[in-house]
Amino acid sequence: MATTADVENVTHAPAEPARTGLWKRPLKNTGLVGWLTTVDHKKIGILYAVGALFFLLLGGVEALIIRAQLMFPEQEVISARTYNQLFTMHGTTMIFLAVMPLSAAFFNYIMPLQIGARDVAFPRMNSLGLWCFIFGGIILNLSWFFPGGAPDVGWFAYAPLTDRQYSPDIGVDFWIMGLQILGIASLVGSFNFITTIINMRAPGLSMMRLPLFTWMTLITSFLVILAFPAITIALIQLMFDRHFGTFFFNVEGGGKPILWQHLFWIFGHPEVYILILPAMGIISEILPVFSRKPLFGYPLIVFSGAVIGFLGFAVWSHHMFTTGLGVIATTAFAFLTMLIAIPTGVKIFNWIGTMWGGRIRFTTPMLFSVGFIWMFMMGGFTGIMHSSPPVDAQQQDTYFVVAHFHYVLIGGSLFALFAGIYFWFPKVTGKMMSEFVGKIVFYVMFIGFNLAFFPMHILGMTGMPRRTHTYKSGMGWEQSNFWSTIGAMILGLGVALFVIQIIYTCFRGRRTNGDPWDARTLEWVTDSPPKEYNFAYTPVVHARDQLWENKHGPDSRKMERIAPGPHGIHMPDQSWWPLILAIGLFIACLGMVFHGEPAWWGEEARYGLGITICGLLITLGSIYGWALEGPGGFHLHPDPKEYDGALPAPESSHGHH
Amino acid sequence: MQRFSALSTRLAALLCSLAGLLILAGCSLNIEGKQSALDPKGPVAQNQYDIFIITLIVTVFLFITVGGALGWTMWKFRLRKGDDPRYIPPQTHGHPLIEIGLVAGSAALLVVIAIPTFGGILLKKNVPLHLVEDAIEVNVVGYQWWWAFEYPEHGFYTANEFVIPAGRAVKLNLRTRDVLHSFWVPKLAGKVDLIAGQTNFMWIKADEPGYFYGQCAEFCGDSHAYMLFRVIAKPEAEYRRWVRDQQRQTANLNPDTGPLYAPLLARDQWAYPEDKVLRGAEVFARACASCHSLNPASQTNGPNLAHFATRTTIAAGWMENEPDELFRWIREPDKVKPGNFMWTGFLRYNPETRTREVEMAGLDYYDLSDNEIEAVVAYLYTLR
Repeated sequence: MATTADVENVTHAPAEPARTGLWKRPLKNTGLVGWLTTVDHKKIGILYAVGALFFLLLGGVEALIIRAQLMFPEQEVISARTYNQLFTMHGTTMIFLAVMPLSAAFFNYIMPLQIGARDVAFPRMNSLGLWCFIFGGIILNLSWFFPGGAPDVGWFAYAPLTDRQYSPDIGVDFWIMGLQILGIASLVGSFNFITTIINMRAPGLSMMRLPLFTWMTLITSFLVILAFPAITIALIQLMFDRHFGTFFFNVEGGGKPILWQHLFWIFGHPEVYILILPAMGIISEILPVFSRKPLFGYPLIVFSGAVIGFLGFAVWSHHMFTTGLGVIATTAFAFLTMLIAIPTGVKIFNWIGTMWGGRIRFTTPMLFSVGFIWMFMMGGFTGIMHSSPPVDAQQQDTYFVVAHFHYVLIGGSLFALFAGIYFWFPKVTGKMMSEFVGKIVFYVMFIGFNLAFFPMHILGMTGMPRRTHTYKSGMGWEQSNFWSTIGAMILGLGVALFVIQIIYTCFRGRRTNGDPWDARTLEWVTDSPPKEYNFAYTPVVHARDQLWENKHGPDSRKMERIAPGPHGIHMPDQSWWPLILAIGLFIACLGMVFHGEPAWWGEEARYGLGITICGLLITLGSIYGWALEGPGGFHLHPDPKEYDGALPAPESSHGHH
Repeated sequence: MQRFSALSTRLAALLCSLAGLLILAGCSLNIEGKQSALDPKGPVAQNQYDIFIITLIVTVFLFITVGGALGWTMWKFRLRKGDDPRYIPPQTHGHPLIEIGLVAGSAALLVVIAIPTFGGILLKKNVPLHLVEDAIEVNVVGYQWWWAFEYPEHGFYTANEFVIPAGRAVKLNLRTRDVLHSFWVPKLAGKVDLIAGQTNFMWIKADEPGYFYGQCAEFCGDSHAYMLFRVIAKPEAEYRRWVRDQQRQTANLNPDTGPLYAPLLARDQWAYPEDKVLRGAEVFARACASCHSLNPASQTNGPNLAHFATRTTIAAGWMENEPDELFRWIREPDKVKPGNFMWTGFLRYNPETRTREVEMAGLDYYDLSDNEIEAVVAYLYTLR
């Protein structure tokens, strides 16, 4: 903290824009330019959330079409090819474009506030992550508009189905490049969050005082930077197989298709925890607030989160129990998978312990949180079942697994993320979402969700495989499929109602004070919505639930405040470069997708590499522009009333000017 | 306060709806379905079912205890009407003994699952000693989107359904000719994948004679949903007769001894007029024989049809083997099974043109008339 502050004080320009770059850094922080060039973690968080909710709706519509097709046996609502494209895009969209960015939205918006920081460590990199996410989503979905259409190989894209021999169309290329650019988004964001949490905590906020959500942000970010390189490598290999005639996964040239599965799942299983750990963090914030008690067993919850992170890298082959692994490998991965149930169970015990003896208010965020515990528990139980390879042999690739991971990802992740939205919405907008409507949304979603996914357990155990676009009548699957579709529609209705409620509340919501829930952590100390600089003063933390101690604790544990120095608060300048760099990557990726394809106008001419090189030149140029535009920055002087009664700034912050 | 007062009614409504869901689920609970893993008919499936039941008991126990604690906590400590919402409960931070106890308890429960799991892993990989003596061997090869079954001990091939002797173990060697597939007959055993470039092993045994449904369980492209098969377990004597029959030629494969592909079945057993059947043989020779072998001892790009008339299904288990269905299948295979090579011909990707080119022509090319198709149908039913 101290060093960062010193560096800023030494190097930042006076309160005027830097002029060393190609062009001036933009100053306008409103309107379109304001949003496109923003480096403010709060605006970036909001853009992440809007993007993620858009893709959530898109993925949801895809799911509803899938369910419509399966409502009755031997239907032809859509073709087999379209169905395969839909489930591929549904999975990819929900994982990479809905749940991950929605988590990232919370990381961005809430985490810096929870640690009393003014922004993340690298504001422009944060912006780059956002734009890579947006362009990655665009690349993936552009595939629908080209001949051959979207990828139809599943979100797991098992070789050799992805080989040109079996998938000659460019859908797979869109998928490869889309995921590649989304990987950059996740990696950039994660390095940023780790640096921020380690270096920019408020004075006194030791690691074991961190709010649980911030802890889970940290662990998730480590998972991302360790897991994503595996898929990045796999995607590059696949790209070379498809474009340059290599044989990484092609048996005819001596390649091994099973290699893809190992690379994919050593990314893919940590990915599961990348999706669920933020949700657990959110729940661990909400339960204490509405139980009016601190988190039960805080150190154990932190520790079990870390253990889940570690073990998450040691269980990937449980996705491959049916691929003919040897007895030793199968047994080892089975037992490690069972082990992971223990830290997960610990979390559930501790959440119950948190509520135990409390005074529980069943507000909308609390209902979603409790709903999360129930549904996540159900998903956990089925997870215990297929941790056993003999049981898994019957369940793998059936609707039982579909039920399992939707219980974990909708009943788990999504319910928690919705809980987080209801909980922090007043923080972000200063407006309250209606409790009445919120509860209706919860019950509609809860009932729809269970009706949609509970019958799938039975479908799976009675033999219905996944990823089949239809099924024979007379197999005993009719009723479950029918009710599942009805449930999915009810769930869709709940989500639609939720989105309408958000839009309505943005415009017409009731204004609220800074702390409507009687919350416990630092983000609620400042205004709702927070000003650009988050905190007018530097908070000095003395306790884990600092806001709660401020309100109810002894004087010795109350927060102190340090006023800003005479030069005010140093703020980072906005920048065009992250957006331009992302556009460069976007063009490079598109060039790679079309590499070697005949031109649109049907001539023999091939293009692609040229476009890729142009895109990479833009990217490279942006990196130079980025580096050369200088640190920039300006000073803000908050109204002294905002830090009324704060301790004066220490001498060191005066010294440099 | 007011807005929490209706909580108990809400909770009650929630419980009712949950109960309703379970009842609904119960209604559709048809565990003896044709392809149900909950209705095991062989030792491997039985073992997997038993371990499933153990996990079910453990998780139901956990659901009752953990879920019970959760439900009770929600009920007992809720903010009630008349409570002071500003009341501050004791700010307890945890209790090491409780936490260690719960960790130890859950670990113990996992051991209950882990031990039979290890037994199950071993069982699936190895045929038990008392069954190994008289086990038979079948090679399974997956294709987009059908199955070839080879009996290496007897030297013949069949497709999409195969017969096994009830009460004897069957060793399966699993391979694929193109993408990944997965061999799954839920009533006999859990699935094992067919992986390009390697041979996987599994074994099955049907305790009693029966007709078992199987299906590909690994996504394998357009018509993955249509890649079904059957396993038919017969009593020992019937099985031996079936093996003997399958080795027999059904069509004349030697041009010196008569018209090529002329049926060898006695004329009085033909169900169709003679001229139609013979014309069917000609059409078959022209449009079908490049992919479909009529020699039980050889396998080409398409399913072996030497004993077609003895099979119960067509189109890889998707349709019943009836003349009308067969006519529709030959007339528009692309509509029945999209992406199917029987229509487009076998396609091979050419890196030069960036497209897939026809390597072996399909019915799209031969453009058979309805009359010709009827003749082929008549002919195919003489192959038994």
